[in-house]
Amino acid sequence: MTAMIKPLRVQEAYEDLLQRSLSRIPCDLGRLLYLASTRDYNTGNYHHDGLADRFSVKVARSALEIAHRQAFCKVAALSLEDLARDLATYLQSSRENPEEFLRIWQRLEPYRIAIPMEVSPTVARLFASNVRLALAVLRLRRESDHSDR
Amino acid sequence: MMGVWGALAGAIVLLLVLLAWVRAEASSKDSRSAWDASLREQVESVEACSPEIVSQIFSANDLKFILGFESPGLERLFRRERTAVALHWVQETSAIISRILQRHLEASRRSADLEIAMEARILLQYAWLKLNCGILFALIGLLGPQRLAGAALHTERLTQRIREALREFQSAAQLREPDGAGTP
Repeated sequence: MTAMIKPLRVQEAYEDLLQRSLSRIPCDLGRLLYLASTRDYNTGNYHHDGLADRFSVKVARSALEIAHRQAFCKVAALSLEDLARDLATYLQSSRENPEEFLRIWQRLEPYRIAIPMEVSPTVARLFASNVRLALAVLRLRRESDHSDR
Repeated sequence: MMGVWGALAGAIVLLLVLLAWVRAEASSKDSRSAWDASLREQVESVEACSPEIVSQIFSANDLKFILGFESPGLERLFRRERTAVALHWVQETSAIISRILQRHLEASRRSADLEIAMEARILLQYAWLKLNCGILFALIGLLGPQRLAGAALHTERLTQRIREALREFQSAAQLREPDGAGTP
């Protein structure tokens, strides 16, 4: 029989996660991608060493899952203008070559991995569609910047 | 003479709605197979979209933002993407409504004391919601999602209301049958 997880412990772990890890990330999209990266691709289980040490593996897993879903809902509900701004912040913080970043994101669509389990298919679709549009906006801005010079 | 013009206008409107339906069908074709295969199952395990998400899908502000770039390519991409998402939402909502009614009918069959008036009201609401979905599906391709935000939010509110009403109905039915006679 599996042990019950106390909601209070999950809440504590969630707040710990917000304070120690997520507050250091400068944008919503960055926080979402960070949380998605704590999920195992094969099992779908979340894991975070520091959080699991301070609480327990199960409590950390639940806190990460909740945080991931909340971060996703927040990004999915952003207006296109806000998402484009957020994506620009993420691009800047990644310190990658912007041209290369935009090319890879448009071709490989790595942001799809950020979709949590059991979200509405329409919300998942809206998220992917909005990121595609935000990427097109950033590319257009870069192209017009280049042509102005 | 007025009768002829009226009939002609009616025929044109009908033709436009049919055209919109065909266009909407064509643009949602790519998503349809995936929908049929797996999304119907997902609908059972997830909650419906929140009103914020519905507002976002049908948002005119996003269109205004895109039009500010004065790029026909970007505008085309935006219209195509948003139409596809809006049609997907209508399909999902329609599937959720069917699922809710199906569950209700299963519960009603087991119920000992059916209220005919209540059942008729639920069926009417169901038919009205399905009709709303059908009209929205046809008009999204014709007018674009941004002009249909009010109708979409109305459908969303009705769906939530029928969902809550049926939840209450089921809780009441369970209370009436405490010995679990209604469970399969």
